[in-house]
Amino acid sequence: MSLIARIEDDLCLAHGDCEAVAPEAFRVDDVARVVGETTDERLRAAARACPAGAIVLYDADTGEEVEA
Amino acid sequence: MELLIVGGGLAAQRCIEVLRAAGDDRPVTVVCDEPVRPYDRPPLSKEGLLDTIEPSFRPEEWYADHGVELRLGAAARSLEPARRTVTLAGGERLRYDALLIATGARARTLPGMPRAQVLRDRFDGERLRAALLDGGPLAVVGAGLIGLEAAAAARRVGVEVTVIEAAPRPLAGILGPRAGAWLTALHRAEGVVLRTGVTVARDLGDALELADGTRVGAAHVLAGIGVAPAAEWLAGSGLDPAGVAVDEAGRTGLPGVYAAGDVTGSGHWEAAARGGGAVAGALLGRPDRAPGPPSFWSDQHGVRLQCVGDPRGAAEHVVLGDLASRSFELDHTLGGRTAAVLLAGRPPSALRAARARLDPIDTSTRRAA
Repeated sequence: MSLIARIEDDLCLAHGDCEAVAPEAFRVDDVARVVGETTDERLRAAARACPAGAIVLYDADTGEEVEA
Repeated sequence: MELLIVGGGLAAQRCIEVLRAAGDDRPVTVVCDEPVRPYDRPPLSKEGLLDTIEPSFRPEEWYADHGVELRLGAAARSLEPARRTVTLAGGERLRYDALLIATGARARTLPGMPRAQVLRDRFDGERLRAALLDGGPLAVVGAGLIGLEAAAAARRVGVEVTVIEAAPRPLAGILGPRAGAWLTALHRAEGVVLRTGVTVARDLGDALELADGTRVGAAHVLAGIGVAPAAEWLAGSGLDPAGVAVDEAGRTGLPGVYAAGDVTGSGHWEAAARGGGAVAGALLGRPDRAPGPPSFWSDQHGVRLQCVGDPRGAAEHVVLGDLASRSFELDHTLGGRTAAVLLAGRPPSALRAARARLDPIDTSTRRAA
Protein backbone atom coordinates (compact mmCIF):
# COMPACT_ATOMS: atom_id res chain seq x y z
CA MET A 1 0.00 0.00 0.00
CA SER A 2 1.11 3.52 -0.58
CA LEU A 3 -0.10 6.16 1.83
CA ILE A 4 -0.75 9.87 1.52
CA ALA A 5 -0.85 12.14 4.59
CA ARG A 6 -3.11 15.13 4.96
CA ILE A 7 -3.14 17.50 7.90
CA GLU A 8 -6.41 18.73 9.34
CA ASP A 9 -5.62 22.40 9.83
CA ASP A 10 -8.48 22.85 12.28
CA LEU A 11 -7.01 20.20 14.56
CA CYS A 12 -3.29 20.86 14.15
CA LEU A 13 -1.85 22.75 17.11
CA ALA A 14 1.73 22.49 15.83
CA HIS A 15 2.92 20.21 18.62
CA GLY A 16 5.84 19.29 16.36
CA ASP A 17 5.84 15.54 16.91
CA CYS A 18 5.33 14.72 13.22
CA GLU A 19 8.45 16.67 12.25
CA ALA A 20 10.39 15.02 15.08
CA VAL A 21 9.38 11.58 13.81
CA ALA A 22 9.64 12.18 10.05
CA PRO A 23 11.40 15.47 9.24
CA GLU A 24 11.65 14.46 5.58
CA ALA A 25 7.85 14.53 5.33
CA PHE A 26 6.62 17.22 7.74
CA ARG A 27 7.58 20.74 8.66
CA VAL A 28 6.02 22.62 11.55
CA ASP A 29 5.92 26.40 11.73
CA ASP A 30 2.63 27.96 12.78
CA VAL A 31 0.97 24.70 11.73
CA ALA A 32 2.33 21.43 10.34
CA ARG A 33 2.65 20.98 6.60
CA VAL A 34 3.44 18.00 4.41
CA VAL A 35 6.71 18.89 2.66
CA GLY A 36 7.96 15.59 1.26
CA GLU A 37 7.58 11.88 0.98
CA THR A 38 8.57 9.03 3.24
CA THR A 39 7.77 5.40 3.85
CA ASP A 40 4.30 4.26 4.89
CA GLU A 41 5.71 3.06 8.18
CA ARG A 42 7.13 6.49 9.01
CA LEU A 43 3.89 8.20 8.00
CA ARG A 44 2.00 5.87 10.34
CA ALA A 45 4.47 6.57 13.15
CA ALA A 46 4.08 10.33 12.64
CA ALA A 47 0.28 10.07 12.61
CA ARG A 48 0.31 8.03 15.81
CA ALA A 49 2.70 10.47 17.48
CA CYS A 50 0.44 13.47 16.85
CA PRO A 51 -1.21 14.39 20.18
CA ALA A 52 -4.01 16.16 18.30
CA GLY A 53 -4.84 13.33 15.91
CA ALA A 54 -4.48 15.87 13.10
CA ILE A 55 -2.74 13.67 10.53
CA VAL A 56 -5.13 11.68 8.36
CA LEU A 57 -3.74 8.89 6.16
CA TYR A 58 -5.27 7.81 2.84
CA ASP A 59 -4.62 4.88 0.54
CA ALA A 60 -3.10 6.48 -2.56
CA ASP A 61 -4.81 3.97 -4.85
CA THR A 62 -8.34 3.95 -3.48
CA GLY A 63 -8.49 7.34 -1.72
CA GLU A 64 -9.93 5.58 1.34
CA GLU A 65 -8.99 6.75 4.80
CA VAL A 66 -6.60 4.32 6.47
CA GLU A 67 -6.08 3.77 10.19
CA ALA A 68 -2.64 4.85 11.39
CA MET B 1 3.95 48.50 15.46
CA GLU B 2 6.67 46.95 17.54
CA LEU B 3 5.71 43.95 19.68
CA LEU B 4 7.20 43.38 23.11
CA ILE B 5 6.75 39.92 24.60
CA VAL B 6 7.47 39.30 28.25
CA GLY B 7 8.11 35.61 28.78
CA GLY B 8 9.73 33.12 26.43
CA GLY B 9 7.64 29.96 26.47
CA LEU B 10 5.20 28.32 24.10
CA ALA B 11 2.67 31.18 23.98
CA ALA B 12 5.43 33.64 23.02
CA GLN B 13 6.91 31.33 20.40
CA ARG B 14 3.54 30.51 18.86
CA CYS B 15 2.60 34.18 18.59
CA ILE B 16 5.83 34.86 16.71
CA GLU B 17 5.43 31.80 14.48
CA VAL B 18 1.93 32.82 13.42
CA LEU B 19 2.98 36.43 12.74
CA ARG B 20 5.95 35.40 10.64
CA ALA B 21 4.03 32.71 8.75
CA ALA B 22 1.54 35.44 7.80
CA GLY B 23 4.37 37.57 6.41
CA ASP B 24 4.19 40.08 9.25
CA ASP B 25 7.68 41.42 9.88
CA ARG B 26 7.15 43.90 12.70
CA PRO B 27 10.09 44.03 15.12
CA VAL B 28 9.64 41.66 18.06
CA THR B 29 11.55 41.76 21.34
CA VAL B 30 11.29 38.87 23.79
CA VAL B 31 12.24 39.50 27.41
CA CYS B 32 12.67 36.23 29.29
CA ASP B 33 14.01 35.59 32.77
CA GLU B 34 15.27 32.14 31.78
CA PRO B 35 18.84 32.18 30.43
CA VAL B 36 17.97 29.98 27.43
CA ARG B 37 15.99 30.51 24.25
CA PRO B 38 12.36 29.33 24.05
CA TYR B 39 11.79 25.59 24.46
CA ASP B 40 8.98 23.08 24.72
CA ARG B 41 8.08 21.75 28.18
CA PRO B 42 6.10 18.51 27.62
CA PRO B 43 9.23 16.43 26.83
CA LEU B 44 10.77 17.46 30.17
CA SER B 45 8.57 15.04 32.12
CA LYS B 46 8.59 12.37 29.39
CA GLU B 47 11.55 11.46 27.16
CA GLY B 48 13.65 14.18 28.77
CA LEU B 49 13.84 12.10 31.95
CA LEU B 50 15.16 9.11 30.04
CA ASP B 51 17.59 10.72 27.64
CA THR B 52 19.45 13.89 26.83
CA ILE B 53 17.12 16.02 24.71
CA GLU B 54 17.16 19.38 22.94
CA PRO B 55 13.75 20.90 23.66
CA SER B 56 14.44 24.31 22.00
CA PHE B 57 11.79 25.29 19.48
CA ARG B 58 14.27 26.89 17.09
CA PRO B 59 18.02 27.21 16.64
CA GLU B 60 19.56 30.44 17.86
CA GLU B 61 20.04 31.94 14.40
CA TRP B 62 16.32 31.55 13.60
CA TYR B 63 15.51 34.47 15.88
CA ALA B 64 17.98 36.86 14.27
CA ASP B 65 16.88 35.66 10.81
CA HIS B 66 13.26 36.42 11.69
CA GLY B 67 13.73 39.86 13.23
CA VAL B 68 13.31 38.69 16.82
CA GLU B 69 15.53 40.07 19.53
CA LEU B 70 15.89 37.69 22.48
CA ARG B 71 16.77 39.33 25.77
CA LEU B 72 17.45 36.28 27.91
CA GLY B 73 18.06 36.25 31.64
CA ALA B 74 16.09 39.49 31.91
CA ALA B 75 13.12 39.61 34.27
CA ALA B 76 10.35 42.18 34.08
CA ARG B 77 9.72 44.10 37.28
CA SER B 78 6.63 46.15 36.48
CA LEU B 79 4.18 47.29 33.83
CA GLU B 80 3.24 50.95 33.46
CA PRO B 81 0.25 50.93 31.09
CA ALA B 82 -0.24 54.71 31.09
CA ARG B 83 3.31 55.18 29.76
CA ARG B 84 3.19 51.98 27.71
CA THR B 85 6.39 50.74 29.27
CA VAL B 86 7.71 47.62 30.96
CA THR B 87 10.46 48.10 33.52
CA LEU B 88 13.09 45.39 33.80
CA ALA B 89 14.65 44.17 37.03
CA GLY B 90 17.77 46.22 36.27
CA GLY B 91 15.70 49.41 35.93
CA GLU B 92 15.72 49.68 32.15
CA ARG B 93 12.41 50.78 30.60
CA LEU B 94 11.14 49.26 27.36
CA ARG B 95 8.38 51.02 25.43
CA TYR B 96 5.78 48.98 23.58
CA ASP B 97 3.15 49.51 20.93
CA ALA B 98 1.74 46.07 21.63
CA LEU B 99 2.62 43.93 24.63
CA LEU B 100 2.12 40.20 25.07
CA ILE B 101 2.30 39.01 28.67
CA ALA B 102 3.41 35.38 28.56
CA THR B 103 5.30 34.88 31.79
CA GLY B 104 3.73 31.47 32.37
CA ALA B 105 3.42 29.89 35.77
CA ARG B 106 5.63 28.82 38.62
CA ALA B 107 5.49 25.38 40.19
CA ARG B 108 4.23 25.38 43.75
CA THR B 109 6.85 24.24 46.23
CA LEU B 110 6.40 22.05 49.29
CA PRO B 111 6.45 24.21 52.40
CA GLY B 112 9.05 23.11 54.91
CA MET B 113 10.83 20.76 52.54
CA PRO B 114 13.60 22.64 50.76
CA ARG B 115 15.14 19.50 49.25
CA ALA B 116 11.96 18.71 47.32
CA GLN B 117 12.49 19.75 43.72
CA VAL B 118 9.85 20.81 41.21
CA LEU B 119 9.66 20.03 37.50
CA ARG B 120 8.90 23.14 35.55
CA ASP B 121 11.92 24.33 33.56
CA ARG B 122 14.62 22.48 31.66
CA PHE B 123 17.08 22.78 34.52
CA ASP B 124 14.54 21.11 36.84
CA GLY B 125 14.32 18.36 34.23
CA GLU B 126 18.08 17.87 34.14
CA ARG B 127 18.19 17.80 37.93
CA LEU B 128 15.48 15.14 38.13
CA ARG B 129 17.17 13.09 35.41
CA ALA B 130 20.39 13.18 37.44
CA ALA B 131 18.42 12.06 40.51
CA LEU B 132 16.99 9.11 38.56
CA LEU B 133 20.45 8.16 37.32
CA ASP B 134 21.63 8.33 40.92
CA GLY B 135 19.00 5.70 41.73
CA GLY B 136 16.06 5.74 44.10
CA PRO B 137 13.98 5.67 45.91
CA LEU B 138 12.05 8.65 44.56
CA ALA B 139 9.08 10.08 46.41
CA VAL B 140 6.64 12.09 44.30
CA VAL B 141 4.24 14.33 46.16
CA GLY B 142 1.13 14.91 44.07
CA ALA B 143 -0.54 12.57 41.56
CA GLY B 144 -1.13 15.15 38.85
CA LEU B 145 0.12 14.88 35.28
CA ILE B 146 3.68 15.91 36.15
CA GLY B 147 3.95 13.54 39.11
CA LEU B 148 2.46 10.60 37.22
CA GLU B 149 4.65 11.11 34.16
CA ALA B 150 7.74 11.42 36.34
CA ALA B 151 6.76 8.24 38.22
CA ALA B 152 6.35 6.40 34.90
CA ALA B 153 9.79 7.61 33.77
CA ALA B 154 11.29 6.46 37.07
CA ARG B 155 9.94 2.94 36.54
CA ARG B 156 11.28 2.93 32.98
CA VAL B 157 14.79 3.33 34.39
CA GLY B 158 14.17 0.87 37.23
CA VAL B 159 13.93 3.41 40.04
CA GLU B 160 11.67 2.64 43.02
CA VAL B 161 9.00 5.30 43.22
CA THR B 162 6.14 6.16 45.57
CA VAL B 163 3.50 8.72 44.65
CA ILE B 164 1.75 10.37 47.60
CA GLU B 165 -1.57 12.08 46.92
CA ALA B 166 -3.84 13.80 49.42
CA ALA B 167 -6.94 13.25 47.26
CA PRO B 168 -8.55 9.81 47.10
CA ARG B 169 -7.31 9.17 43.54
CA PRO B 170 -4.82 10.40 40.93
CA LEU B 171 -5.72 13.37 38.71
CA ALA B 172 -8.66 14.02 41.01
CA GLY B 173 -8.79 17.69 39.98
CA ILE B 174 -9.65 16.74 36.40
CA LEU B 175 -10.87 13.16 36.10
CA GLY B 176 -13.56 11.15 37.85
CA PRO B 177 -13.41 8.02 40.01
CA ARG B 178 -13.51 5.44 37.20
CA ALA B 179 -10.62 7.03 35.30
CA GLY B 180 -8.84 7.45 38.62
CA ALA B 181 -9.22 3.78 39.47
CA TRP B 182 -7.91 2.82 36.04
CA LEU B 183 -4.88 5.12 36.45
CA THR B 184 -4.22 3.67 39.89
CA ALA B 185 -4.26 0.13 38.50
CA LEU B 186 -2.02 1.11 35.58
CA HIS B 187 0.64 2.61 37.82
CA ARG B 188 0.50 -0.22 40.34
CA ALA B 189 0.85 -2.80 37.56
CA GLU B 190 4.03 -1.00 36.49
CA GLY B 191 5.49 -1.08 39.98
CA VAL B 192 4.62 2.42 41.18
CA VAL B 193 3.58 2.53 44.84
CA LEU B 194 0.60 4.86 44.88
CA ARG B 195 -0.53 6.15 48.28
CA THR B 196 -3.77 8.14 48.05
CA GLY B 197 -5.81 9.93 50.68
CA VAL B 198 -2.75 10.70 52.78
CA THR B 199 -0.44 13.68 53.22
CA VAL B 200 3.24 14.08 54.09
CA ALA B 201 3.85 14.86 57.76
CA ARG B 202 7.62 15.41 57.77
CA ASP B 203 10.89 14.85 56.04
CA LEU B 204 13.21 12.38 57.79
CA GLY B 205 16.11 13.07 55.44
CA ASP B 206 16.15 9.77 53.57
CA ALA B 207 12.44 9.05 53.93
CA LEU B 208 9.13 10.85 54.31
CA GLU B 209 6.83 10.21 57.21
CA LEU B 210 3.20 10.32 56.17
CA ALA B 211 0.27 11.55 58.26
CA ASP B 212 -0.76 7.95 59.01
CA GLY B 213 2.66 7.24 60.53
CA THR B 214 3.97 5.11 57.65
CA ARG B 215 7.32 5.85 56.03
CA VAL B 216 8.21 6.17 52.37
CA GLY B 217 11.80 5.84 51.13
CA ALA B 218 12.93 9.12 49.60
CA ALA B 219 16.50 9.64 48.45
CA HIS B 220 14.96 12.29 46.20
CA VAL B 221 11.66 14.15 46.44
CA LEU B 222 9.66 15.65 43.58
CA ALA B 223 6.79 18.03 44.29
CA GLY B 224 4.12 17.96 41.59
CA ILE B 225 1.44 19.96 43.34
CA GLY B 226 0.38 22.39 40.68
CA VAL B 227 1.35 25.81 39.44
CA ALA B 228 0.42 29.42 40.04
CA PRO B 229 0.49 32.20 37.40
CA ALA B 230 3.81 34.08 37.38
CA ALA B 231 2.11 37.44 37.41
CA GLU B 232 3.31 39.12 40.63
CA TRP B 233 5.23 41.63 38.53
CA LEU B 234 1.89 42.98 37.29
CA ALA B 235 0.88 44.24 40.74
CA GLY B 236 -0.19 47.88 40.46
CA SER B 237 -0.70 47.72 36.68
CA GLY B 238 -4.45 47.25 36.86
CA LEU B 239 -4.15 43.59 35.84
CA ASP B 240 -4.76 40.81 38.35
CA PRO B 241 -1.45 39.46 39.68
CA ALA B 242 -3.28 36.23 40.60
CA GLY B 243 -3.90 35.53 36.90
CA VAL B 244 -4.57 37.81 33.94
CA ALA B 245 -8.13 37.76 32.58
CA VAL B 246 -8.36 37.77 28.77
CA ASP B 247 -10.96 37.50 26.03
CA GLU B 248 -10.87 34.96 23.18
CA ALA B 249 -8.13 36.86 21.37
CA GLY B 250 -6.02 37.32 24.49
CA ARG B 251 -6.93 41.00 25.03
CA THR B 252 -6.66 42.26 28.59
CA GLY B 253 -8.53 45.33 29.73
CA LEU B 254 -5.51 47.54 28.94
CA PRO B 255 -4.93 49.15 25.53
CA GLY B 256 -2.43 47.22 23.42
CA VAL B 257 -1.85 44.66 26.16
CA TYR B 258 -2.48 40.96 25.53
CA ALA B 259 -1.80 37.84 27.58
CA ALA B 260 -1.64 34.14 26.76
CA GLY B 261 -0.72 30.82 28.30
CA ASP B 262 -0.35 29.81 31.91
CA VAL B 263 -0.19 33.41 33.16
CA THR B 264 -3.91 33.55 32.34
CA GLY B 265 -4.52 30.47 34.48
CA SER B 266 -5.30 28.39 31.40
CA GLY B 267 -3.33 25.31 32.43
CA HIS B 268 -2.35 23.02 29.59
CA TRP B 269 0.01 23.15 26.61
CA GLU B 270 -2.85 23.32 24.12
CA ALA B 271 -4.30 26.43 25.74
CA ALA B 272 -0.94 28.22 25.56
CA ALA B 273 -0.52 27.26 21.91
CA ARG B 274 -4.01 28.48 21.07
CA GLY B 275 -3.64 31.60 23.18
CA GLY B 276 -0.37 32.67 21.55
CA GLY B 277 -1.85 32.06 18.12
CA ALA B 278 -5.01 33.97 19.00
CA VAL B 279 -3.00 37.04 20.04
CA ALA B 280 -1.10 36.92 16.75
CA GLY B 281 -4.47 36.71 14.97
CA ALA B 282 -5.67 39.82 16.79
CA LEU B 283 -2.46 41.69 15.95
CA LEU B 284 -2.94 40.70 12.30
CA GLY B 285 -6.49 42.05 12.40
CA ARG B 286 -8.08 38.65 11.85
CA PRO B 287 -11.59 38.10 13.20
CA ASP B 288 -11.78 36.39 16.60
CA ARG B 289 -12.33 32.65 16.48
CA ALA B 290 -14.29 30.73 19.07
CA PRO B 291 -11.83 28.56 20.95
CA GLY B 292 -12.00 24.81 20.40
CA PRO B 293 -12.73 22.49 23.31
CA PRO B 294 -10.01 22.26 25.96
CA SER B 295 -7.77 19.24 25.61
CA PHE B 296 -4.70 17.60 27.05
CA TRP B 297 -2.65 14.51 26.50
CA SER B 298 -0.24 12.47 28.57
CA ASP B 299 2.05 9.49 28.03
CA GLN B 300 2.36 7.08 30.95
CA HIS B 301 3.87 3.58 30.89
CA GLY B 302 3.64 3.46 27.12
CA VAL B 303 -0.07 4.34 27.10
CA ARG B 304 -1.21 7.55 25.47
CA LEU B 305 -4.05 9.32 27.26
CA GLN B 306 -6.02 11.95 25.40
CA CYS B 307 -8.82 14.06 26.75
CA VAL B 308 -11.04 16.53 24.90
CA GLY B 309 -13.64 18.67 26.58
CA ASP B 310 -14.01 19.37 30.28
CA PRO B 311 -14.55 16.15 32.25
CA ARG B 312 -14.82 17.80 35.66
CA GLY B 313 -17.85 16.67 37.59
CA ALA B 314 -19.27 14.63 34.70
CA ALA B 315 -20.56 11.03 34.82
CA GLU B 316 -18.24 8.47 33.23
CA HIS B 317 -19.49 5.86 30.71
CA VAL B 318 -17.28 3.29 29.02
CA VAL B 319 -18.29 3.32 25.35
CA LEU B 320 -15.49 1.17 23.93
CA GLY B 321 -13.01 -1.32 25.36
CA ASP B 322 -12.90 -1.88 29.08
CA LEU B 323 -11.21 -0.41 32.09
CA ALA B 324 -9.38 -3.65 32.82
CA SER B 325 -7.37 -3.10 29.62
CA ARG B 326 -5.10 -0.34 28.33
CA SER B 327 -7.40 0.68 25.51
CA PHE B 328 -10.78 2.29 26.08
CA GLU B 329 -12.99 5.30 25.45
CA LEU B 330 -14.70 6.94 28.37
CA ASP B 331 -17.44 9.44 27.58
CA HIS B 332 -18.29 12.05 30.19
CA THR B 333 -21.85 13.34 30.35
CA LEU B 334 -23.10 16.31 32.29
CA GLY B 335 -26.61 17.71 32.16
CA GLY B 336 -27.55 15.51 29.20
CA ARG B 337 -24.62 16.57 27.02
CA THR B 338 -21.33 14.89 26.20
CA ALA B 339 -18.92 17.22 27.98
CA ALA B 340 -15.68 15.31 27.45
CA VAL B 341 -14.12 12.12 26.16
CA LEU B 342 -11.08 10.40 27.65
CA LEU B 343 -9.20 8.00 25.39
CA ALA B 344 -6.49 5.54 26.38
CA GLY B 345 -4.38 3.72 23.85
CA ARG B 346 -6.63 4.67 20.94
CA PRO B 347 -5.61 5.58 17.37
CA PRO B 348 -5.75 9.10 15.90
CA SER B 349 -9.08 8.48 14.15
CA ALA B 350 -10.65 7.78 17.56
CA LEU B 351 -9.60 11.20 18.80
CA ARG B 352 -11.17 12.86 15.78
CA ALA B 353 -14.37 10.89 16.33
CA ALA B 354 -14.34 11.83 20.02
CA ARG B 355 -14.15 15.52 19.16
CA ALA B 356 -17.07 15.11 16.82
CA ARG B 357 -19.31 13.66 19.54
CA LEU B 358 -18.74 16.48 22.03
CA ASP B 359 -21.77 18.67 22.36
CA PRO B 360 -20.95 22.30 21.70
CA ILE B 361 -20.32 24.39 24.78
CA ASP B 362 -22.73 27.25 25.30
CA THR B 363 -20.32 30.18 25.30
CA SER B 364 -22.97 32.91 25.30
CA THR B 365 -22.77 33.42 29.06
CA ARG B 366 -18.98 33.28 29.08
CA ARG B 367 -18.67 35.84 26.33
CA ALA B 368 -20.92 38.21 28.18
CA ALA B 369 -18.84 37.87 31.33
